[in-house]
Amino acid sequence: MKVQKRLILFIILLLLSAAFISGCGEKQESSQQTSSQSGEKDKIVIGAALPDFDDKWLSYLQDGMKEYEKAQKDVEVIYVDAMNDASKQLSQVENFIQQKVDAIVLVPVDTVSAPEMVNKANEANVPIVVVNRQYEGVENATAYVGSESIKAGLMQMEEVAKLLNGKGNIAIMNGQMGHEAQIKRTEGNKQIIEKHPDMKVVLEGTAEWDRAKGMTLMENWLQSGKKIDAVVSNNDEMAIGAIMALEDAGKLEDVVVAGIDATPDALEYVKSGKLKVTVFQNAKGQGQGGLEIAIKAAKGENVEKFNWIPYELVTKDNVEEYIKKWQ
Amino acid sequence: MSSQVSVVDKREKSKVSSSSKEKVSRILNRYGMLFILIALIILMSILSPTFFTTGNLLNIVRQMSVVGIVAIGVTIVIITTGIDLSSGSVIALVSVAAASFAHPDTYPLIVPIAIGLGLGLLTGVINGTIISKAKIAPFIVTLGMMTAARGAALLITDGRPVGNLSDSFKFIGQGSVLGIPVPIIIFGVVGLISYILLNKTKFGKYVYAIGGNEQAAMIAGVNVDRYKIFVYGYAGLLSGVAGIILTSRISSGQPTAGVMYELDAIAAAVIGGTSLAGGIGAIGGTIIGALIIGVMNNGLDLLNVSPYWQQILKGVIITVAVFIDSRKNRKS
Repeated sequence: MKVQKRLILFIILLLLSAAFISGCGEKQESSQQTSSQSGEKDKIVIGAALPDFDDKWLSYLQDGMKEYEKAQKDVEVIYVDAMNDASKQLSQVENFIQQKVDAIVLVPVDTVSAPEMVNKANEANVPIVVVNRQYEGVENATAYVGSESIKAGLMQMEEVAKLLNGKGNIAIMNGQMGHEAQIKRTEGNKQIIEKHPDMKVVLEGTAEWDRAKGMTLMENWLQSGKKIDAVVSNNDEMAIGAIMALEDAGKLEDVVVAGIDATPDALEYVKSGKLKVTVFQNAKGQGQGGLEIAIKAAKGENVEKFNWIPYELVTKDNVEEYIKKWQ
Repeated sequence: MSSQVSVVDKREKSKVSSSSKEKVSRILNRYGMLFILIALIILMSILSPTFFTTGNLLNIVRQMSVVGIVAIGVTIVIITTGIDLSSGSVIALVSVAAASFAHPDTYPLIVPIAIGLGLGLLTGVINGTIISKAKIAPFIVTLGMMTAARGAALLITDGRPVGNLSDSFKFIGQGSVLGIPVPIIIFGVVGLISYILLNKTKFGKYVYAIGGNEQAAMIAGVNVDRYKIFVYGYAGLLSGVAGIILTSRISSGQPTAGVMYELDAIAAAVIGGTSLAGGIGAIGGTIIGALIIGVMNNGLDLLNVSPYWQQILKGVIITVAVFIDSRKNRKS
């Protein structure tokens, strides 16, 4: 009996550790890469500090980097995941500096802790390229690659205003409050709404970037009895949640729903006409651009301080083009 | 084995009757929170004319059914002085696994359901086995499962959602029977089964006995290890049920689903009068606790309260509700 119990416990531990090892696979891979690289000095080694491997959009950004990496000779990129922990990211950046990588690509966990990381890299004379998340003082970094969040909000709302002929009641669905993208996208929305005297914000709430929460919020809004002409969401997942709630209530025909990100799921909703507007933030483009600039900086070439990857408006008319991009 | 159990049962009876005082306070707990729920409903009805409508009330219960089902499992775990932090991540794992087998014209409906429930049960049994056999604190074990299950969900899907689900699968979360949304029916059935389990069976007696005094229960002959595995297994199974409903409701398996649901579930249990010190708690109380959270979320949305204030108000209301409740208990 006792032996059997121990055996069971052993098997469980084995399974758990197997799960653990496979989960940490990517990290191990990267540490192996570093050790193999220390011997070959002619290779350019780039350290890529990403906030969260689990984030869908960021995984596309990482894909962009990986694709660009493959197309290059003698470039190896070490990817590390900060798991949305700023202090972890700081130590990862410090490790990169210790490992003497040729350049760092940094997608900051948050914009408060980023300047410290940039300073550390500058002190050690390691070029550092900040990607995707902009903050005040980002010019201290070697370069910035990204899109201006506020432009997405402006572009999204302009299209909605056009669809509503410049008048109507707007409900704004915010992402996680306090995120840079939430603040700027909503700010962009409101700037456009202010320009139209017949448009006003009647409802505003947060669904924390999440589809299920977007659905719940929309259901509650529908219960409020307020007239809503458009739901303008900070991202697509929440917009899809809103669409599902509106469909359930049979009111999707009367409401324009707009999102941002142009995720593959969202593009299907655009294609079927349920999601009227989304905005494509070029994840792969940003990843590729970030790595490209980092490699240039590593080679000692001059780079532009600000490198804007433009947003693109996606509607039913051009959706096919974007569906192809994800394939 | 059956003779062994019946002996245990006799020994248990004397112990359970001595805890009838606890039972009284448990009942008080339940009705105290019911009063707060009714007060909240009256307040919201005055503030918002559209709050007290059949549509909206059904809406609230449907929205809370996922967290409510998880909270029922968590309640039983907390009664044994344990905790389960893995529920939200298990929901995500179940969500992507079930969704992967729920595409139209592939497998019959039973396959994704069985996989979802089986996976939930498995994670719970692993939790329970490690907690009871290896004697590691439940907080740590379920924290480990929380991380590992989320990792597994992301691993399976490469971090991306799984869409294109069959209509029969979608019915679980989106359909209605006789005007009642299916999630509410499942919530009710789960509540009823759990109530019977906890109040009418030996299992329930032992759960309270373990929570009241684990050492005494063990001396009285309760196979504490086995019941702990049952309890965590049941909590895992209910996370599986919740995961299937959530997936069906949003028509997609999401590896990022269910974030923080474990804390909402624990909050519902605690608001509902479950004591984190163990031994005290009831299914009815937890359902009321879940409804209090649901009414708050819904009411604050209806009133268009700013998202910043919503967070502050929710925190205040949860703390005040539990404070009033604990005062009342002390007086009694």
